[in-house]
Amino acid sequence: MNGLCSTILMLAEEATPHAAAAEAHITSPLQPVLFFILEIGAILAIVGMMLCLYRMVKGPHLADRVLSGDTLAYQVVGLVILLTVRMESTTYLDGALVVAIIGFASTLAFAQYIGNLKRQTNP
Amino acid sequence: MIWATIGDIFSIFFALAGMFFMFVGAIGVVRLPDAYNRLHATSKCSTLGIMGLALAAVFHVGTLAVTTKALMTIVFAFVASPVGSHMLAKAAHIDGMKPWDRQLSDELQQDKDRQSGKSPSNAPRGMKLPGQAKGAKPAGPDSTARMSAAV
Repeated sequence: MNGLCSTILMLAEEATPHAAAAEAHITSPLQPVLFFILEIGAILAIVGMMLCLYRMVKGPHLADRVLSGDTLAYQVVGLVILLTVRMESTTYLDGALVVAIIGFASTLAFAQYIGNLKRQTNP
Repeated sequence: MIWATIGDIFSIFFALAGMFFMFVGAIGVVRLPDAYNRLHATSKCSTLGIMGLALAAVFHVGTLAVTTKALMTIVFAFVASPVGSHMLAKAAHIDGMKPWDRQLSDELQQDKDRQSGKSPSNAPRGMKLPGQAKGAKPAGPDSTARMSAAV
């Protein structure tokens, strides 16, 4: 929490009009508020990933585990998008798109597997 | 300056909405009683949550590359997530996953029974249908046939 406060103070110093005039990138006075919300969002995404892992361990059916893995992939996508907003960088969104595509493909593959499971065991 | 402030206001709004939907989806994955109900929560998380966070990135950063990639992510999430949920629910139904014991009707099972020539067997147990809240008759195969005829 101490590091969080010092980060916010540092960003508030950066967000003064003097620094904004000095830098090429235009900053707004609401940027520390947005960055604080992004840190809360990162904590919520990590807690959501832990909840998905709990369902993946506990889930009674195989479909429960697969859907918790799908949700986990989308939480990772959300975390990467939060990182994009925080760093104001372009390159991280490629990772978000790749994780989304891999999660979708794995969900489809597991759905095919679950659908063929009964046919394989007792034909 | 003023445009950056307005963009940050929109960005804060969409980030809060996206965080809310992501966290509610994760809670629903744990709390809901059935894999079909959990798929309902998963779809909300992955479409609306990803849309909110990506729009937050668009309104805060605002360059052309970030906007294009974020819109691609939104479109992909809106196409891919319902398809994956639908395929997973249908595969779980084929595999014979036991549904929640308080569900009202299983229309896919009724259609399968009707196609294979059997009478619809899984009448709702224990609970009354919404159409016959005051009816004296308990729910049985007759009410199931009437409901599917009304549909």
